[in-house]
Amino acid sequence: MPPVSLSNEKQKDYRSNSLWRLTLRRILRQRNAVLGLIILTFLLLMAVFADVIAPYAPEQVLIGLEEGIKKRQDPCIHLFGCPKDQPQHLMGIDGNVRDQFSRVVHGSRISLMIGFTTIGFAIIMGTILGAISGFFGGWVDNLIMRILDVLMAFPSLLLAITIVSVLGPGLQNALLAIAIVTIPVYARVVRGSVLSIKEMPYVAASRALGGNSFHILINRVLPNAIPPLIVTGTLGIGTAILDAAALSFLGLGAQPPMPEWGTMLGSERNQVFTAPHLVFYPGIAIMLTVLSFNLLGDGLRDAIDPRLGQSQN
Amino acid sequence: MRSKSLFSVVFMLLVVSMLVVACQPAAPAEPAEPAAPAEPAAPAEPAAPAEPAEPAAPVEPSVDFEPMSLAAPDCEYGGLIKEIAAVDEFTVQFSMCAPDPAFPSKVAFSAFSIQPKEWIETAMESREILEKPVGTGPYVLDSWNRGDSMVFKKFADYWGTPAVTDTLVFRWTSEGAARLLELQSGTVDGIDNPSPDDFEVIEADSNLALYEREALNIFYVGFTNFFPPFDDVRVRQAVAMALDRDRIVDNFYPAGSEVASHFTPCAIPNGCVGDVWYEYDLEAAKALLADAGYPDGFDTKIFYRDVVRGYLPEPGLVATDLQAQLKDLGINAEIVVMESGAFLEESSAGRLDGIHLLGWGADYPHVTNFLDYHFAANNLQFGQPFPEIYETLMAASQVADPDEAEPLYVEANNAIKELVPMVPIAHGGSATAFKAEVAGAHSSPLSNEYMAVMDPAGRDTLVWMQNAEPISLYCNDETDGESLRACEQVLESLLSYEVGATAVNPGLATSCDPNEDLTVWTCNLRQGVKFHDGSSLDANDVVMSWVVAWDASNPLHVGNTGAFEYFTYLWWNLLNAD
Repeated sequence: MPPVSLSNEKQKDYRSNSLWRLTLRRILRQRNAVLGLIILTFLLLMAVFADVIAPYAPEQVLIGLEEGIKKRQDPCIHLFGCPKDQPQHLMGIDGNVRDQFSRVVHGSRISLMIGFTTIGFAIIMGTILGAISGFFGGWVDNLIMRILDVLMAFPSLLLAITIVSVLGPGLQNALLAIAIVTIPVYARVVRGSVLSIKEMPYVAASRALGGNSFHILINRVLPNAIPPLIVTGTLGIGTAILDAAALSFLGLGAQPPMPEWGTMLGSERNQVFTAPHLVFYPGIAIMLTVLSFNLLGDGLRDAIDPRLGQSQN
Repeated sequence: MRSKSLFSVVFMLLVVSMLVVACQPAAPAEPAEPAAPAEPAAPAEPAAPAEPAEPAAPVEPSVDFEPMSLAAPDCEYGGLIKEIAAVDEFTVQFSMCAPDPAFPSKVAFSAFSIQPKEWIETAMESREILEKPVGTGPYVLDSWNRGDSMVFKKFADYWGTPAVTDTLVFRWTSEGAARLLELQSGTVDGIDNPSPDDFEVIEADSNLALYEREALNIFYVGFTNFFPPFDDVRVRQAVAMALDRDRIVDNFYPAGSEVASHFTPCAIPNGCVGDVWYEYDLEAAKALLADAGYPDGFDTKIFYRDVVRGYLPEPGLVATDLQAQLKDLGINAEIVVMESGAFLEESSAGRLDGIHLLGWGADYPHVTNFLDYHFAANNLQFGQPFPEIYETLMAASQVADPDEAEPLYVEANNAIKELVPMVPIAHGGSATAFKAEVAGAHSSPLSNEYMAVMDPAGRDTLVWMQNAEPISLYCNDETDGESLRACEQVLESLLSYEVGATAVNPGLATSCDPNEDLTVWTCNLRQGVKFHDGSSLDANDVVMSWVVAWDASNPLHVGNTGAFEYFTYLWWNLLNAD
């Protein structure tokens, strides 16, 4: 691509560097976003070091290993007065006599994995569809967007349930279903930015220099469409985790004995009054995770949105 | 512009097509319902002469009573009944193809309740009978608010002891916690099946009382021997030895439950004779599995339905624990939760290629109710039936004297242990809970609690909350316990069970007496019994109620699903069933 090598690499580096640095600085200035970032870092560390943190394997049944252990036993924390001769169980024992704390810790792995893979898949598919439809316009645009409009017309969780019922329950199918129902969101975001970016002078310049459509789309348009995508994506991860937990709660997502938070909630929902710790901790875990992504996403939006940025500076 | 309008047209078409698709199942479904009964009715018309008495049904039976009867041409059709005949206005005679010592126990069952002949003729084909039963019971159905409740009123002309309360309300919710909450807050007087974890809560509460139900049921892990590796008896035996059944009962069953030593509970005569089930022995199981050619185990599935029953109070937990136990044996099992109806259909047809978790609650207190249904020659639930088991059972079922039948049941139980069509796990204790002030509250081992004897501290309304809504109130074609309990308040059979127990008492018949070889049973009806519609009970009502279920070619053989499952398995086969 000799004719286009005019684009100054150094200048581009400077530009993007400053954008990210600027964004980071703006985020750190917002207390909410920092809180989100802290919770998220905490969760990521928990997921990475789950094997070290958790005292038991998540599927380890403790019957016969510990004397006098009963299902749905209350938490035993030495710090809070639980006799020292009893083994410590921070979050108690679940219905199948497994250590609830180990399961909640290991659940963070599954939930983060769910969030990142589904949104990753949805972003890739959404970007491809949105970019094509925004850049080429005309009947292609119309066809793609109308199909996505139909997808969007269904309540997302309901559509996901339908897809899983057709494909059969299981974590993989649930992920696929959630990814499919979220594609339209990203396709719209990308299409919107592409529509405005393709009218920019630098795109016209690139075209004047002889760049073909594909080159312009990949090198000039898409890089500039990424920031809003990141905002939507971060917010979307929270929703995806929530949807996956809902599907698992209904028995359509993760299957036992997998330590998925939604599944844990679902299997013990009848014990809200007799063993509240079994629904409290997974519920709190889901809430914190979703909250962290929402706070971070909000912060990112404030940081990246040029209008807000200008008014702040 | 043009493309825009084109797309709007396409979009409209899409919406319209979706609407059509959405409405389609409803459209054929409606005509299908009346059509389904019409189908068996059409070929039935030539067979109509089977009921000679029908056209001349008199309005006033006592004036000129024309007794009805129906007889099978011979016993080749595979059923147990040979003839049902009204001898006179108050006598019905059942002739059998083989001696049947369990006859009184079976006849008392609520799937053989009696409704007026005229009402069956009027309401069967229109399926009105499913929602408006006309019985002789202590309560009359007043209204059925679908999805919410059922209201019964006291029947003033009841022949026996009248109901204590004027009004009886049935409500339902599937969540154990929700049922208990309603009881604690006082909106209901009694609930069925509190969660095992709540037993202590209820016993500790002085306002509530817990009534434990005798464990007349069995929870088992079934194999379908059509599918490898379960076609190998060594694999089945290995699983039988590898399951720590004490662990399951200790952890997931309420007090009053016991580990099953045999398929049939010991409370039933001849239930637990023969060798006791295998002890837990993981090493021996591993050796057996290696012997069978699976030293590293194999992959399979655990099928179950997420429905709480007395025999399985914690379906999800038990399935997960079995999964963990099988893993110790090297078997990787995937858990598959199925919708209840689909699960029953697939399991009874022997189409589940793994192991399935199912159970059985006693309908009538006789060993045939457990063994003969599950291990009969025509039951494919466990795959190819075993002649070693069903031939012995067939012989045993025709012996009237329990002591005389015992060696045969020993033989059958030992064959079951040897061949392992399933692994019996537990006889599950369950309970009902009532406000402490409710007098006459009880739980029945047959799950047929009788509300007419209960007195909620003088109030005129008794509210009962169970697990699920009844499916229909024509219980002669229902198998669901939640439906049967509702029917038992309204409808009555020839004989009855003692309230809260299993002994057989007189019902609409003052007695049913056998001849010497137990092949002919003569039932003498109670006189002066009034139905809810004001008509009087006579022998033709009894014959009609039985015949529409027995004779598959009868135009009124409609029911709810038309399967009449309890009839088929208690009396072996329907007449003219092909």
